[in-house]
Amino acid sequence: MSSTMNWRSESVRGWGDSVGGTSEVLRPTDQGQIVDALADSHGPRGVALRGSGCSYGDASINPDGRVIDFTGMNRILDFDAENGIARVEPGVTIRELWCHSIGQGFWPAVVPGTQQVSVGGAASMNIHGKNNYAVGTFGDHIESLRLATPSGELLECSRKENVDIFHAVVSGFGMLGCITELELKLKKVYSGRMRVWGIPTRDLDDNLSMIEDLKDESDYLVGWIDLHAKGKALGRGEMHRAVQFKQGEDPDGESMLSPDRQDVPTTLFGVVPKGWIWPGMWLAHHLGFVPMVNWAKFQAGFGEGWKSPYPQTHGAFHFLLDYVPNWNRAFSPLIQFQPFIPHAEASRVLRRLIEMCHDANLVPYLGVLKRHRVDKFLMTHAVDGFSMAMDFYVGGASRRKAVWELTHRMAEVVLDAGGRFYYAKDATLLESSFERIHGSGAVEQFRALKDRLDPDGVLQTDLSRRLLGSE
Amino acid sequence: MPRKTSGTVIVVGASSGIGQALALRLAHEARPVAILARRLDQLEAVAKDINDKVGATRIYPYEHDVTDIESVDALFKKIEAEHGEVDELHFVAGVMPEVALDEFPTDKDALMVQINTIGSMAWVNAAARRFLPRKAGHIVGVTSVAGDRGRLDRPGYNASKAGQDTHLESIRNRLWRHGIRVTTARPGPVHTPMTEGLDVPMAISAEQAAKTILKARDRGRAIVYVPWKWRLIMFVIRNIPSFLFRKMSV
Repeated sequence: MSSTMNWRSESVRGWGDSVGGTSEVLRPTDQGQIVDALADSHGPRGVALRGSGCSYGDASINPDGRVIDFTGMNRILDFDAENGIARVEPGVTIRELWCHSIGQGFWPAVVPGTQQVSVGGAASMNIHGKNNYAVGTFGDHIESLRLATPSGELLECSRKENVDIFHAVVSGFGMLGCITELELKLKKVYSGRMRVWGIPTRDLDDNLSMIEDLKDESDYLVGWIDLHAKGKALGRGEMHRAVQFKQGEDPDGESMLSPDRQDVPTTLFGVVPKGWIWPGMWLAHHLGFVPMVNWAKFQAGFGEGWKSPYPQTHGAFHFLLDYVPNWNRAFSPLIQFQPFIPHAEASRVLRRLIEMCHDANLVPYLGVLKRHRVDKFLMTHAVDGFSMAMDFYVGGASRRKAVWELTHRMAEVVLDAGGRFYYAKDATLLESSFERIHGSGAVEQFRALKDRLDPDGVLQTDLSRRLLGSE
Repeated sequence: MPRKTSGTVIVVGASSGIGQALALRLAHEARPVAILARRLDQLEAVAKDINDKVGATRIYPYEHDVTDIESVDALFKKIEAEHGEVDELHFVAGVMPEVALDEFPTDKDALMVQINTIGSMAWVNAAARRFLPRKAGHIVGVTSVAGDRGRLDRPGYNASKAGQDTHLESIRNRLWRHGIRVTTARPGPVHTPMTEGLDVPMAISAEQAAKTILKARDRGRAIVYVPWKWRLIMFVIRNIPSFLFRKMSV
């Protein structure tokens, strides 16, 4: 069988470029090839599943093993424009999905900060958006999915059929099988844009209480935090709030329900090609200007506040990470550490984490605050509380070691407070943390499903070996 | 320009005019703004309007009658308990009833002194008592160019504003050496409900006045004329000898 399949040796790296290695990569174009590939991958390092490769860490990394890259399976099979239900292959990206649906007045219910992610990856990692507190995670909007398991089964999973498998595959970081098809429910939008406010926030508690105050009357909330600020200003930043237009509220915005009216501009101020920005960011980063850039961004927030509210397209509001092409090159190699803290502990724990970064002299160049809610997925990251994504530069062996140690110490603080982590972002958690995150019952259930659907342990990644052990 | 103050701010007299315009600007400074006035319904409408613009709750309305000086300390304490330490005060409340040239109304004069002068004293004193031990804070008193000279048309208003202005100067001289700033803003004519129906030459908008006042605050100015050209005009008027001034009709 393997002779007919085109496995090619390639370098496969995490999005943060901090982990990776050489793997045998296959790009199947249909379900049959996936089934064959799973049956053919019983080597000691097994096979990893990879969508667009947007996980920051090692969730789709399998050095010296195999990788099934399903970006070639990117067909939109059906779109029900009445109910907004899309039947798609797993390699379809969020971008391809909304470009297909927006003309008919639908937008994906949950989108992350970059539109490059695949829906298969989004389901496996159970990603969230800036509206997690209101509508749940990506998994909450999957109607059904089809799973090809290493044990050779093809399973239809939904909230009615194979219910336990459905809730474990979504959030199961690609450990139980390969999703070959999904049905997604999109949400209705009546305008190509939203009403957006930029609101400067003076400190961490201002951010937290503002989210609590606004969450019932906002469709999206996300806080940028200047993690370099200290003392009374610790945790200051800027909140971005968006409210969707109701039917008829924004007649001018109806014509913007079109892919070419949504795209983020390709030039800055209409002049500077955006491809030129990341080298500038690289320079600012390596010259140590990041605290100043953060300060300037905070000050600029006052100007943005003054012109609020302003209309902004869905694309421009959501896909901040796509705004500057290749921005990760300016800071790579990088990792992201995103703890999820229960509501009652958030103020204390987040303050402590920021102070720990200052004490270690390893201040993340970017901090992003979001509100979440609980969901039913087995390996979910979501808690009824807040998360703070912190981006660390990890260039150089000594800095890398120091950041790893710092994240281990921070993880202790988070876990002691009943917090959780998110595997699309993680690169440093220890095996001992896994059970503390999910509880022994959930882990037992997950391992039992793994034994049943993947008895030979074919599906492996650096992440799974790190957290589940290499049994 | 970075401000020295970032805590809670109180605006006394914010239901309209310059006070309302100041509240809008202050609400965009990422801090809680307590706005005070007698008419609670109007105050709540102002708060809602500003909060909608900002996108979050920054404005908190409090009903207060400036003539009720007994209640100032308790209200100050209440605001600090609810929104954190206050480090900035704007006193903008003021009244200017119509007075005819042949009218000598003690009741109207008393009311103006009660609100414009004693009301200001009560709030400035309350702020000063708190700011002094903390060695931080900024007091902004909105007086008027009318306080610079006793003119024939508004004896009571001129006197009340002169009194307020002089009190602010004394407080400035006491506090400045401790790092606390006291800014006296002397607006010329401004289009506000107070000047509605009056002939107000060279008047500016309340928004323009608020912008100028906050710029003076950022620069730590002691006295600011609003707009600046009134500094020149009032320099001339202040220096007109009395024997000429009493024959003039300015």
